[in-house]
Amino acid sequence: MEFRETILSSFRTLVSHKMRSALTMLGIIIGAGSLVAVMSLVAGLNRSVAAQFQSIGTDIISVSRYPWVQTGGGEDYRKRKKITAEDAEAVEALPSIGLTAPNVHTSRNLSFDGEVLRMITISGTTPEYETIDNFAVEDGRFVTDIDVERRRQVAVLGAGPATELYGARDPIGKNVSIGGRRFRVVGVLESKGSILGSSLDDLVIIPITTFEKVFGHYRSTVIDCQPAEGVPMQRAVEDIRHVMRIRRRVPRDAPDDFAINTQDELLAEYHSLTGMLYLAMIGIVGLSLLVGGIGIMNVMLVSVAERTREIGVRKAIGAKRADIRSQFLVESVILSVVGGTAGIGGGIGLAFLVRLGTPLPAAVTAVSISIALGFSLVTGIVFGVYPALRAGRLNPIEALRYE
Amino acid sequence: MLIELSGIGKTYEVGTQTVPALRDITMAVEPNEYLAIMGPSGSGKSTLMNIVGCLDTPTDGSYRLKGREIAELDDDELALIRSEEIGFVFQTFNLLPRMTAFQNVELPLIYSRAERHTRTDRVWGAIDAVGLRDRATHRPSELSGGQRQRVAIARALINRPSIILADEPTGNLDSATGEEIMEVFGSLHSSGNTVILVTHEEYIAEHARRIVRLRDGMIESDSPN
Repeated sequence: MEFRETILSSFRTLVSHKMRSALTMLGIIIGAGSLVAVMSLVAGLNRSVAAQFQSIGTDIISVSRYPWVQTGGGEDYRKRKKITAEDAEAVEALPSIGLTAPNVHTSRNLSFDGEVLRMITISGTTPEYETIDNFAVEDGRFVTDIDVERRRQVAVLGAGPATELYGARDPIGKNVSIGGRRFRVVGVLESKGSILGSSLDDLVIIPITTFEKVFGHYRSTVIDCQPAEGVPMQRAVEDIRHVMRIRRRVPRDAPDDFAINTQDELLAEYHSLTGMLYLAMIGIVGLSLLVGGIGIMNVMLVSVAERTREIGVRKAIGAKRADIRSQFLVESVILSVVGGTAGIGGGIGLAFLVRLGTPLPAAVTAVSISIALGFSLVTGIVFGVYPALRAGRLNPIEALRYE
Repeated sequence: MLIELSGIGKTYEVGTQTVPALRDITMAVEPNEYLAIMGPSGSGKSTLMNIVGCLDTPTDGSYRLKGREIAELDDDELALIRSEEIGFVFQTFNLLPRMTAFQNVELPLIYSRAERHTRTDRVWGAIDAVGLRDRATHRPSELSGGQRQRVAIARALINRPSIILADEPTGNLDSATGEEIMEVFGSLHSSGNTVILVTHEEYIAEHARRIVRLRDGMIESDSPN
């Protein structure tokens, strides 16, 4: 029987049983739809995270007591020996390391002209911090070597405090009160947006020496640095690890008592966490398609039984086994592909709604649509084969006698 | 010779028993004959019809249709023969309910892979031959019993078969409509078709020119009418 005829005939049959066809497709619709929605969500999230990470600085190496990603191992990172300014100098001296900026942090109230901002991050650092940590000065200037040398009480404001304390006024040259001391604003930073929901603009930068003068020397230093030109990240990291372990007298078989954070690591950690989640979600969705497929097989078996007489008649007027088989297989595939397409449409719609209504970014990819379509097609074929074979094998004489 | 049956036998295995439905059937049919196969229920007439109609193969003997031995054909080859040489008309019409009369008559052409551009004309030709042009777009549920049987006859004719096999064609019709249908068979015979009726009703068999009577799976008599 011609392919076109088979498809037309199968469509006719499915349309004449609209309710049954629709219910049968439900499993596939949900399966395909969830697949697209989930994959879109993950794709969007991945893209968004990658983009946000770009704003931190792509080849930054940050040495601190705390790892950026804390995998609840139970270790109390605060008990670790603090990292010192001397450690920072040792790292800076490494040939494989280029720019280095030690930095220390605290939280304090900020105020100007009666306006008070509570608990803003105050960072004490050196000029290199601007480059390494990817800051851009919108107005005025950054901290300079002379500021550091002379322990000047100058401050560079992040976009957040700049707007909230001064509004439309130009903060440059004005005073700001940090921790009870008077500082002069010398620069304002460009907005950096936020990462995973938290703002990167709520900070104030002052010279590291001033920080220690005002807030004390007892904190652990964070060493931010970059590999020297032409040095691979891996080697720079290893060299840092080597010198830090020696300086802190870490025994040969003990783990590091400090953390060397890189963006690659962060992304890798992110991917391994989400990777497993991703697979789990795909698995659940796959199950949904399986259920949909079983639903199709069931309905097709019922359909074959109901149409036993019809199959007998078709055989009597000249249909071969293959003609009967392909008729039912095509019906099954149409069910699954139409259901799959409807589901994909629903999934796209859902992803769109999610992107509009929630902070979650969902990006529908061609890959997800192809996979969903492919799975639907395969489901229709796999679960349609058995009923089709049974239909083909019916004995025409017995089939004709069937009530 | 159109049909040559020599020593045809059919036995069924029912559990541990072997049931002989047909024994030693020998007969021949020439083109353009009009014959009735008669017998009470259990006489084997349905079994004989299934074999002549290539729906089933005999366990013994030889069946040559237009010189070709049927007994050794496989399922697909039988399907092809059914498509090209046999036109069935059933007691219960057996039209496909979700298709129109036109589509029902067209179906055998689709299975015999006839060319698309000739199909429409041929279907109308068959529909006209049974006088149903104005009901062609109706579904079987919208047709009377007599009209349905006409559609079935048109379907049986569409592939220009060698044999028209009618199994109790008037069984589900009232006597007036039944007579109309028998007239259709009569005119089919006049136009050159070979018509084989299978029936247990004497007055239906009377329409034929030759009556083969079966009893207990064997030919009791075979004589002109």
